[in-house]
Amino acid sequence: MSTSHVLLGLLAAGSQHGYELKRAHDTRLPRAKPLAFGQVYATLGRLQRDGLVVSAGQEREAGPDRTAYTLTDQGRAALTGWLAAVEPPMPYVTSALFTKVAVALLVADLNAARSYLVAQARAHTERLRELTAVKTAPASSLADVVAVDYVIAHLDADLRWLRTTLARVADWHREVHP
Amino acid sequence: MSGLQAHGVVRSYGPTPALRGVSLDVAEGEIVAVTGPSGCGKSTLLHCLAGILRPDVGEVHWRGERIDTWPEAARSRLRRTEFGVLFQFGQLVPELTAAENVALPLLLAGTGRRGAGRAAREWLDRLGVAHLADVRPGAMSGGQQQRCATARALVTGPRVLFADEPTGALDTLGGEEVLTRLVHLAREQGTTIVLVTHEPRIAAYADREVMLRDGVVDPTGLGLDEPLVPVAGPGAVAR
Amino acid sequence: MTPVVALRLALAGNRTDTVRVVLTALSAALAALAALAALTVLAVPTPPGGRGVNNAEQYSNALLREPGLRGGTAVALLLLAVPVLALAGQCVRLGAPARDRRLAAFRLAGATPGQVAALVAVEAGLAGLLGTLVGLGTYLAGRVLLHRPDGRGLLPLPTDVLPSPSAIAAVVLGLPVLAGLAGVVLLRRVTATPLGVVRRVRRERPPGPWAGLLIAAGVAAYGLLVPVGRWYAARDQDPPAVLEPLLMLGGGLAALVGVVVGTGWLSHTAGRLLHRWGRGPATLLAARRLTADPWAGSRTLAALLAAVIVGAGAAGLRASMLADMTANRAIGQSFAASDDFYLNTMDLVDRAVQVAVALAAGGLVVALVEGIVARRRTYAALVASGVPRSVIGRSVAWQALAPAVPATVLALAVGLLLTWTTGGRPRSYGGQTAQVCPGDAAGCADPSALRTVWVPESVVTPELPWGQLAGVGATALAAVLVTVGVGLLFLRTSTAVEELRTG
Repeated sequence: MSTSHVLLGLLAAGSQHGYELKRAHDTRLPRAKPLAFGQVYATLGRLQRDGLVVSAGQEREAGPDRTAYTLTDQGRAALTGWLAAVEPPMPYVTSALFTKVAVALLVADLNAARSYLVAQARAHTERLRELTAVKTAPASSLADVVAVDYVIAHLDADLRWLRTTLARVADWHREVHP
Repeated sequence: MSGLQAHGVVRSYGPTPALRGVSLDVAEGEIVAVTGPSGCGKSTLLHCLAGILRPDVGEVHWRGERIDTWPEAARSRLRRTEFGVLFQFGQLVPELTAAENVALPLLLAGTGRRGAGRAAREWLDRLGVAHLADVRPGAMSGGQQQRCATARALVTGPRVLFADEPTGALDTLGGEEVLTRLVHLAREQGTTIVLVTHEPRIAAYADREVMLRDGVVDPTGLGLDEPLVPVAGPGAVAR
Repeated sequence: MTPVVALRLALAGNRTDTVRVVLTALSAALAALAALAALTVLAVPTPPGGRGVNNAEQYSNALLREPGLRGGTAVALLLLAVPVLALAGQCVRLGAPARDRRLAAFRLAGATPGQVAALVAVEAGLAGLLGTLVGLGTYLAGRVLLHRPDGRGLLPLPTDVLPSPSAIAAVVLGLPVLAGLAGVVLLRRVTATPLGVVRRVRRERPPGPWAGLLIAAGVAAYGLLVPVGRWYAARDQDPPAVLEPLLMLGGGLAALVGVVVGTGWLSHTAGRLLHRWGRGPATLLAARRLTADPWAGSRTLAALLAAVIVGAGAAGLRASMLADMTANRAIGQSFAASDDFYLNTMDLVDRAVQVAVALAAGGLVVALVEGIVARRRTYAALVASGVPRSVIGRSVAWQALAPAVPATVLALAVGLLLTWTTGGRPRSYGGQTAQVCPGDAAGCADPSALRTVWVPESVVTPELPWGQLAGVGATALAAVLVTVGVGLLFLRTSTAVEELRTG
């Protein structure tokens, strides 16, 4: 996920300074990894250098944290382009889960691979239950539910994969060590 | 002793064993998912727990009383007062409107027509289908029917709700909405839920998952053929 | 599709299908028997000669002896086939959901609508053929077994004649063809789509007012019989030969259809009243089903109501005959033998009505069981949620009786009205001299023993046959009650928890 594009999106509503941008980011993208201030300013600096944002003057008190930023036309174009671009649908198999099982079969025995799969499935199930509880909690907002749903769908897919792989791992082991 | 317990329940359909000695302890207010591949006996276990079926061998206890030996009339009364049931589909009476379907258990309990009707509409409202009160099931979507069925299962304020694949006939969103409301209402009222499902995602709504395999509880919970020697427990999960 | 494949697929059914085939065959056998009996009566040769000398003297029963009565006897026998056919119509619906699914699966597997229709026709036709062959066998065996001449060599039944071979063939082959066609017509909605059976949801439409109009027309047709006769008599003419039978047949049909349509209205009204005033879940369930499909009642009760109408009409006729006999006796024109003949004939009619009621009850059982079996999933879910079976049982009973009671009363009233419009009028007699014989029959042979007396003018009013009407009504309602009882036996298996398995 590109932090710079998120910041461009947040600036599309009007000029804001760094602190406001960080707050808006954490509200609009609940349960995402919180943004560090340093990262906000570093990103803003890069965007300014590339001409996508400009500083729109400072407020009464001086200091770098009170600088407000505004989207340039070029920045708006970059944002629109990014929004319209389709993300490549998983061009490579890059899952840590998959890699770990494959390596486990290479260097360790079948039991190790299997134990890893079981432990991972249990951890996934536990996390799935935690996130589902968020959905049924009365205080959850729709943004929470939508965010959590995204992860639930992925955990669910992982779990299915873990279970089918658990059923196939013995055959796979025979294929690796004929 | 409180809650619901099964002790060594065995049940066969003719020569085919469905349950081969299942023990289960469900605390009050707990939501337990019973999962497993199809044909593992999970529906049969639910039917035995709810007093719909009698086990061939074994016992079922509710709040310290053995209920599987009760006569059918007594178990019927238990099912319409302290228990509620929710199935996959086809449980609404097609000729009755949604409100009448929901009011049915109350009418059976002797509540007057007016009072039952009011309570029915209230529950339909809680499940977000108040606008369908005067509609017959045939004119509703599957999800709407299931919400009405949920209202009917909850209208008597049951202590335990038995749900057998309640979302099985619904699409993902429809199923989630039914379950979210069901679990939310159950937690609010302290209702125990026994939820039979084969989907991990639905089972995640429960506090705990019990997996059945070939008529017995699968201790590994993952359908493994042989027990494992763990080399990395859940505590050793890499971050 | 080769015939062998068609046969194999047509016979690939479950136990309910077997029951349906057996019942269809049984009704075909009964219908064939009735038709063959009627044909036999018609096959009795009429000796040459005019009225009075052309009797078939080999029979002990006047119904067979007199050519003028044989036609009516044959029609009565054929009419017995009507409730049988109604029974067959109900049998076709037995196990329909399972069969519909099976046929839909054939369509999904690529069968054309024509092929599926052919399968249905083959199944129904074969069952019908089996039945008519059994009927033919029974008929031929009965001919031999019942050929019992009495002391004077007279036959109680026409066991000495056979219908023509072509007529027999027409019955034995024609009924199965009819059965096959009926099966296809009844299943036309199924054969249309491979995606299961989408039964159209019946609109909740209370039947219109034309039940009353039809009944009124029927009664009026019978009421016209006497004035029309008088009108022609006043002009010294005979009415056209077809006029009276036409009025009677048309009037009877109109009244029957009127009552059956009226039953739809009665069902709907009974449902509305039950819904409004009923207490408890049993009446609510029954009320909603009655209003949801008010025509179910008329469909299932039609045969029974037809029998009740005939029974009530016969009761009226008997009362009218009794009044005539009283009047005749008073003026000395009574002949005990002919009185007995007429009353015996009425007994036969009453017996036929009882048989018809029994057959109609059979149809009712099939319809009721089918209704319960078709709803087994809902019922099983209700029982699982703690609804006692007795509540469902009561709702089934309400649903059967709520339309049956008023419909039976209506049918009794209409049946009675049909004959009562003419038969119920007071007869005035007397005001004339009559010759009476004071002694016994032997003494009366001597003309000198006769006395001439003055009979004062007086009036005999036929008595309303309350007793017999009550008897017919009670028989019909008893049949419905027995039916409900049998249906409830099926409730237990239909609410078993196995019905809940999602498969």
